[in-house]
Amino acid sequence: MSSRRPLALIVAAVLLAVLLILPVGHGSYFIYLLCSWLMFTIAAMGLNLTLGYAGRISLAQASFMGVGAYTTAILTLHGWPWLAAAPVGVLLCFVVGLLLGFPALRVRGHFLAFVTLAFNTLFFLVARNEDWLTGGSYGLSDIPRPRIGPISADGQLAFYYFTLAVSALAILALWGIVRSPWGRAFKALRENEVRAESLGLDTRRITLLAFAIGSAFGGLAGAIEAPLVQYIEPNSFAVGESLKVLLMVVVGGLGDFWGPALGAAMVVLLPEALRGTRYYLIVYALFVIALMVLKPTGLMGIGKTFLARLAKSRAAAATEAKP
Amino acid sequence: MSRRNFLTAAAFAVAAIGLGGAARAADVVKLPCVCELSGAGAVSGTNYRDGAHIAVDEINAAGGILGKKIEMTDYDTQTDPMTSRALIQKVIDDGAYVIIGTVYSGSTAVNMLVAQKAGVPQFTGAEAPDITAKGNPYIFRTSSGAEKGVPALTAYFKDTVKAKKIAISWVNNDFGKGGHDVFLSEMKKAGIQVVADVPSEQGQVDFSADVSKIKQAGADAVFVYLNEEESARILKEAVKQGLKIPMVGEVTLTGQKVIDLAGGAAEGALAHVGLATSAPVPSIQAFAANFKKIYKRDTDHNGIKGYIAVWATKYVTEMIGKFDRKAFADKMHGLTLDVAKYPHMLLTTSWDKTGELSRESFMTEVKGGKQVITGTVPAN
Repeated sequence: MSSRRPLALIVAAVLLAVLLILPVGHGSYFIYLLCSWLMFTIAAMGLNLTLGYAGRISLAQASFMGVGAYTTAILTLHGWPWLAAAPVGVLLCFVVGLLLGFPALRVRGHFLAFVTLAFNTLFFLVARNEDWLTGGSYGLSDIPRPRIGPISADGQLAFYYFTLAVSALAILALWGIVRSPWGRAFKALRENEVRAESLGLDTRRITLLAFAIGSAFGGLAGAIEAPLVQYIEPNSFAVGESLKVLLMVVVGGLGDFWGPALGAAMVVLLPEALRGTRYYLIVYALFVIALMVLKPTGLMGIGKTFLARLAKSRAAAATEAKP
Repeated sequence: MSRRNFLTAAAFAVAAIGLGGAARAADVVKLPCVCELSGAGAVSGTNYRDGAHIAVDEINAAGGILGKKIEMTDYDTQTDPMTSRALIQKVIDDGAYVIIGTVYSGSTAVNMLVAQKAGVPQFTGAEAPDITAKGNPYIFRTSSGAEKGVPALTAYFKDTVKAKKIAISWVNNDFGKGGHDVFLSEMKKAGIQVVADVPSEQGQVDFSADVSKIKQAGADAVFVYLNEEESARILKEAVKQGLKIPMVGEVTLTGQKVIDLAGGAAEGALAHVGLATSAPVPSIQAFAANFKKIYKRDTDHNGIKGYIAVWATKYVTEMIGKFDRKAFADKMHGLTLDVAKYPHMLLTTSWDKTGELSRESFMTEVKGGKQVITGTVPAN
């Protein structure tokens, strides 16, 4: 393990370097897409924790993005700095996620899906009808971009680096959580709840935590979305968006740490890349269907199979070469 | 998480995002069409785009704008505000001179901020009141906003129908809410009581509860402020439940798409229309006939909106004599394009300093499966 760690660090550093230089020379459209990708990666990674690691389905991730986005928007519009507003949004999501986790203690599978779906709808209706707070259907506009000390993230490139920094920290935090005893407890919960409990695990606490932490990441994504788009309205956080985040997790590879990043890239960037063709949405949909039918483990599954084959043939070649 | 997984992810991520675009220099002027070509707004967006393309072909055949050919590329927003914002960003990066679209108000409210920041003029098909109320000097309407259209109906309800009690069925998005709010204040001013206030969802299929609510409220007339497909559904449901009161709409209710979808149920529906393809104006009828010849289907008013957006771009650019976005926007404010001198505007059209549009409008009714003009409302 220890011999692997430096290599992982090197790859992480290279990836970060690529992300640092990637937007240079590109137009603001490309930069906007990258920001959008990072934002959805955070939301999907949060859902992956709840669904992929702890095995509890949630169709409410968009509503947590909404809670985070509205909280950040309302507070920053009232003159709060982003650095103060975003944590409030994230914390609020943590608390709401904890509350939503309670039904998860009693119901499973489809029933839990419905409970969370209902929650998302409830959030949508509140956001649309409480005009005094959320601006109703008109939404909230002119949301300011963050300013940290003398540095303003008003420009596209500056905002991208800001998003990248926040995302890197968030992913690092999640990496820590997954490798902590909590992370292992989440997996134990998914694999066999009864056995996990028999080993002395407090499954109740772990389930609630899985929901709360996953939701908090949704909230962080929302806190980025508000200043990114600079306009939010209820439809951006409707059930359809939750399904989109779910698609990212599933396409990327359920329960795989880096899966959501790939899934988000696929959902955010692929339709844009295919845009030149007339039937691009059909092509995109067919690709997703084919992927799910042929390789249910998602993009990470394809990559792993490929690498495993490569290693196997290499090993075979090595044994052949020996005598 | 093994090293292998990490390597896979890294390789994929780099491959997935390494998609750059190559710029191509040519002696053309770029008028990108950013529209709703799929999703809930596909009907409006497609007509808007097709109308715009007719204008592009006409102008290019006649030598272009100031000698430059127009290059129009279509971009589909999927009726999603966030995507529309990304696309407006993209067309600005690609050097758009003027942007044609978007049609839906929700998308326009988001993406017009981007065009404003970049100083690129934008012709929207949106009709929500707030679009021109935000002091954006680069946004221009191609049809009147609800705050101009809805009041034109007040006189009709008050004097023709002599309504004392009225119902409203509206779509609960920012387009519908804009019309709804203007309507309520208009009715209050006119002393007409609103007895049923029925919101519905965008894309709603079942209107039975909505219609029975209106029926039970005992209204003298109902104001329908819905998008095309939902308008057709409520008309059908009204026939089914035997609702006999006048159904009156703003713009959409007597549109061609609604008539096609609702069939006989659209008969007798009334609407105030800023731009009607059946208007008794030879230039408009010629346009509608030409549209049908090219695309083998009828257009609604959105086709005309796209068409005049492109022609206005040509006229105004040639007035200022150069491709200058700021001068273009300045020139547009307070401008009137007289149809006698600028025939492709189809009707004399004026823009005020907010980008709001004003021109003659019509009262229409569906008779014999066709939209028929029953009266003319002067420009306001």
